[in-house]
Amino acid sequence: MPITGAPEVAFRRRSLLGAALAAPALPRFAIAQADSRPVVTIAVQKISNTNTLETLREQSNVGSRTWFSIAETLIEQDWWDDLTLRPALATAWRRIDERTLELTLREGVRFHDGHVMTAEDVAFSFGPERMGWGLTLDQARNLFGSVPGQSRGRTPPPEALAVARRTYPALERVEVIDSRTVRFVNRTPDLAMEGRISRNTGMILSRAAFEAAPSWLDWSRRPIGTGPFRVAEFRPDQSLVLEAFDDYWGGAPPVKRLRFLEVPEVASRINALLSGEADFACDMPPDQIDGIARSARHEVVGGPIMNHRLTVFDKTHPQLANPLVRRAFTHAIDREAIVAALWGGRAPVPRGLQFDFYGSMLHADWAVPRFDPNEAKRLLRQAGYKGDPIPYRLLAGYYTNQLPTAQVLVEGWRAVGLNVVIEMRENFPQVLSREGQRGVRDWSNSASFNDPVSSLTAQHGPDGQQWQIGEWRNEEFGRLSQVLEQGTDPAQRRTTFRRMLEIAEREDPAYTVLHQSVNLTAKRRDLRWRAGQSFVMDFRRRNWAG
Amino acid sequence: MLRFLATRLLRAAVTVVLVVTFAFVVLRLSGDPAQIIMGADAPPEAVEAFRRAWGLDDPIWMQYLRYFGAIIGGDLGRSMRDGRDAIALVAERIPATLALTIPALLIKLCIGIPAGITAALHRNSPIDRAVMVLAVAGFTVPSFVLGLLLVLVFAVQLGWLPSGGQESWRHAVLPILTLGIGGAAVLARFTRSAMLEVLGQPYIRTASAKGVPWRAVVWGHALPNAAIPTVTIIGFMVGSLIAGAVVVESVFSWPGVGRLLVVAVANRDLAVVQCVLLLVAGTMVTANLVVDLLYGALDPRLRSQARGA
Repeated sequence: MPITGAPEVAFRRRSLLGAALAAPALPRFAIAQADSRPVVTIAVQKISNTNTLETLREQSNVGSRTWFSIAETLIEQDWWDDLTLRPALATAWRRIDERTLELTLREGVRFHDGHVMTAEDVAFSFGPERMGWGLTLDQARNLFGSVPGQSRGRTPPPEALAVARRTYPALERVEVIDSRTVRFVNRTPDLAMEGRISRNTGMILSRAAFEAAPSWLDWSRRPIGTGPFRVAEFRPDQSLVLEAFDDYWGGAPPVKRLRFLEVPEVASRINALLSGEADFACDMPPDQIDGIARSARHEVVGGPIMNHRLTVFDKTHPQLANPLVRRAFTHAIDREAIVAALWGGRAPVPRGLQFDFYGSMLHADWAVPRFDPNEAKRLLRQAGYKGDPIPYRLLAGYYTNQLPTAQVLVEGWRAVGLNVVIEMRENFPQVLSREGQRGVRDWSNSASFNDPVSSLTAQHGPDGQQWQIGEWRNEEFGRLSQVLEQGTDPAQRRTTFRRMLEIAEREDPAYTVLHQSVNLTAKRRDLRWRAGQSFVMDFRRRNWAG
Repeated sequence: MLRFLATRLLRAAVTVVLVVTFAFVVLRLSGDPAQIIMGADAPPEAVEAFRRAWGLDDPIWMQYLRYFGAIIGGDLGRSMRDGRDAIALVAERIPATLALTIPALLIKLCIGIPAGITAALHRNSPIDRAVMVLAVAGFTVPSFVLGLLLVLVFAVQLGWLPSGGQESWRHAVLPILTLGIGGAAVLARFTRSAMLEVLGQPYIRTASAKGVPWRAVVWGHALPNAAIPTVTIIGFMVGSLIAGAVVVESVFSWPGVGRLLVVAVANRDLAVVQCVLLLVAGTMVTANLVVDLLYGALDPRLRSQARGA
């Protein structure tokens, strides 16, 4: 699929606003007969890492850009304003008890296939057919159903099952009370259940469409949701075309068609934007801001998002087994210099692995380890570190500014006597591989809802990646993770969270936070569209006229 | 002649086997497809299940024998990313690549050969220097730099042509030019060198001394003899029709075989990578075979050597 992106009609602010305001009042045939809405083209680095649109499989930053146009959750995070949870496909919810949450579904919501959304669809979306509850990992392999000798079917692939288990670790069942009421019942108390439901894995999809699909793979490439756009064409590794769904419950979308085009090179994305072939260009590095801003017709929007960049430690490395060495790492990082030199000061240095929207759970007096080379040297002397090499498995450009950040880090570490050796890798599995000796690596952690369980326990607790791949574990931290997950006393949870930060960032470092991530999108200046505090992109009417 | 052909065919078959074997070993030793395709978050049991499903848990020699046996049986395997036939995935990308590389080859031939001949016939003149300056510039600028420069001028500044994608013939212009300019420069250099060498030969001097018109000397004696090294280069260019646009396809977001190869290598989608490499090796070997046969047609001495042997 080519890059064209030229709107089918001239796209001016006034006509856009007019169309947006008039759209709800127009009968459908009027929209169909004289559709003056623009076609919007978005140049992205990658559309989907897994070549599917099923969020249980596509758990990536790049996948976040598209799913929100296709499907919706019951409760959603307000990434554009105050980061609170707000009604989406559920209009209201109430706690029955600490284990049970009852939600009232929105009326008149239709799927892209015309079916009206019911409680059965919600039960399906969180049920065994989609999430694979009860399956063994051997049974959950039908992504590869076309391998000779294996059956085809709609059972999910193993990693979808793994993601579901990690996201909803204690979900027991979803009860259908009536066509508009559902109850989520947990095996254990969970104060963060509303937040978990707001995660993209909880998007509500059509049961009928799932049952009609010939295979899981077919379905996952054309999921039928309730979002303002439906999948018109998905060409893996090339393009994704979404068409306006005029029966959308929130009103007909202001855009006739969204075209996500895969343009891997940054320079090519910028050229597509500047030449008028694309209206948006994603994943802009900070050093391109000035160049784009010189164009009167374009601008760069966005800023910090709910994601922190980290350096992660492998505790099983002979040198890193000593927490004093890891602590030395944390004190030998000049975070402010990285932020100033590579991000133009746009990326804040946060208060450790916590986010401002944690509200009452936030420890405002917590901070990342201070930059103190002398303290780092003292810790290394105390640890008896003799300069043995410590590998740093590195990707060239998965994260924006990844390579220059690594170079700054390594020089800082060398200055205090840490012999860190960069080893370039091609992809994350090679970075995480148990073959050879791991040392330090890059990572980022997102908070998908406003509670520490969304990040600290999810990423570093017993079900988290570090623990699961044998990189780091701490028994006290593991016990506290359970307290944080299941605790119902806010004061106790807050104290527990504090202790977990002390363990994972000071006493027995699992990681150290570098800075908050920044997501920059270049766009046409005349398009009144706001970037959220997330990778999610919203092309509904509410986010179109600013 | 038959023996000549048989020797070349045998050599071609050995080359293809070596390429396939090398690719098989390197790809399997440089990354685990199961871990890459399943993702970093996949639990170890899931990765194991994937390995079992695809036979990746077998010893590498067993995988190799199975793979090789399948190739002989005409089965090039399936993509591990979506289960489709690798050959079907590759085949659907070939037209897009050929849509760039064939016109680019014509540009190379139409510009490179006349430019090289002209430069040789005007040796040390301003024309020669001008042609060589352009040729050196053409083949020393990397294709991704040239591509971006062309985009900046013709797409961003002038707005005449699209900067990337594959929707109409206009989208193909800049990638074709990018591929064509570099190749034409290489061909111009080789043609000039070959012509200069031939023009210095005694038989050219003899023909001129006998009063043969200069035009007839060039057409009848110089060009056929200079064609041999030039045909070798053209053979390489024809051989790279399938996979000679990897960088250009990335710069211009052109969904051809090159981009498929990049994505497949990054994901260790073994069957697809091997299918592309097999195709590339096959094309290159065939082109070389044709060049070898052309040598015989162009140079009677080689024909007589082959007969003598």
